[in-house]
Amino acid sequence: MSHNDHDPAVPKPPDLEALSAFVDRELPDEADAVVLEHLARDPQAAAQVAAWRAQKAALKALCGAPPAHEPSFIVLRAPVPWWRRAGLAACWLVAGAGLALVLGPLAPRLSGGLIGHDPMGLAQRADIAYAVYTPEQRHPVEVAASEEQHLITWLSKRLNRPLSVPSLQEYGYSLVGGRLLPGEAGPAAQFMYENPTGSRLTLYVTGIPDDETAFRLFRDGNRRTFYWVSDHMGYALSGPISEGKLRTMAIDVCSALGGKPESWQ
Amino acid sequence: MKFEAEVISWLPQLRRYARALTGDSAWADDLVQDTAERALARWAAFRPNSNLRAWLLTILRHLYIDQLRARREIAVDDESAPWRNLEAPPGEVDGLVLRDLQRALYCLPLEQREVLLLVCVEELTYQEASVALSVPVGTVMSRLSRAREHMRVLLIEGPTRKSAPLKVVRNP
Repeated sequence: MSHNDHDPAVPKPPDLEALSAFVDRELPDEADAVVLEHLARDPQAAAQVAAWRAQKAALKALCGAPPAHEPSFIVLRAPVPWWRRAGLAACWLVAGAGLALVLGPLAPRLSGGLIGHDPMGLAQRADIAYAVYTPEQRHPVEVAASEEQHLITWLSKRLNRPLSVPSLQEYGYSLVGGRLLPGEAGPAAQFMYENPTGSRLTLYVTGIPDDETAFRLFRDGNRRTFYWVSDHMGYALSGPISEGKLRTMAIDVCSALGGKPESWQ
Repeated sequence: MKFEAEVISWLPQLRRYARALTGDSAWADDLVQDTAERALARWAAFRPNSNLRAWLLTILRHLYIDQLRARREIAVDDESAPWRNLEAPPGEVDGLVLRDLQRALYCLPLEQREVLLLVCVEELTYQEASVALSVPVGTVMSRLSRAREHMRVLLIEGPTRKSAPLKVVRNP
């Protein structure tokens, strides 16, 4: 196939990019054949390709070996920074928004850390997520309620089970949207609701390995969180409203989500 | 859990790349540590079924550029650059002395060095490199060919090249 005489139909010689892609075998078969044919006729291009191939091999020899002093571990401080970051983020958000009201209940957490451990880390996580995200004015949620179907599909996929968003409309709270969060044993979803006065509630949902039907209350400052587990799913409803009202709503949410609030009523 | 394990499985490659990129193994180890931490903290931003390695490389790149900027503000002096103190690698491959190659590698601008390392050493496809560098594939191709040519010229010209501009004064 190598003709020495120039055929006017032969395409123009491959440029540097084509030669470079040829070295990496990134050209489609047809273009690859064209370059190969050209190299047979063009010693300069052939020398260039050879030089680049040698360069590639040498780079591999120079850098390709695994590092000699391989540390046997990497310090993964992930679980701790999450809390700290959440606390810190809350602190900044609060400071930024000038919500001194929220700062009080939050301060003990920032200084003292999480000492008291509730049997359900779920409630604490939900509570912190509430504290972190509800003061957000511009980005309270990742996906807004206007895209509710997408929100549900997305979070159901990430939590690997069908989710539904209960309506709290009869209590005056409408859905703002939701976001994905790291939970204790996998991903968690947070749905946010808001009433006309701007007061916010969150419903925190995550998978839970054990299955118990306890219904408990977690308090932190002026915030209350009712939480329960149903069918390997943990739920937590958080908000700065009265216990009685939040309890009624939680019972409603529980039954709307297929739970059996009768068992703990 | 599975995500963490996957991130950890890429650490040796990330470390190798970071060392080649920075020419400084302590800096590289810090970079990899920071990258892993950031990846685990931002796991929610990762789309499943997309390329985890390219995503990690992107994080590493952003961190490196940030840190490079911070260091440059302190030390502008090229003589103190980390690769000046690198131990010269012994050996010769395909007619190229590795010492010269190393010197040439760190003479390249960052944009050329990173694409060259990603494709030649880390063996990323152009597609993967385009994701890792957040540029179109066409840019990967043109940058890569320029990097190769730049490198070839540096290797031909040899180490005296750097002082050449100082020799303009000539006695007629």
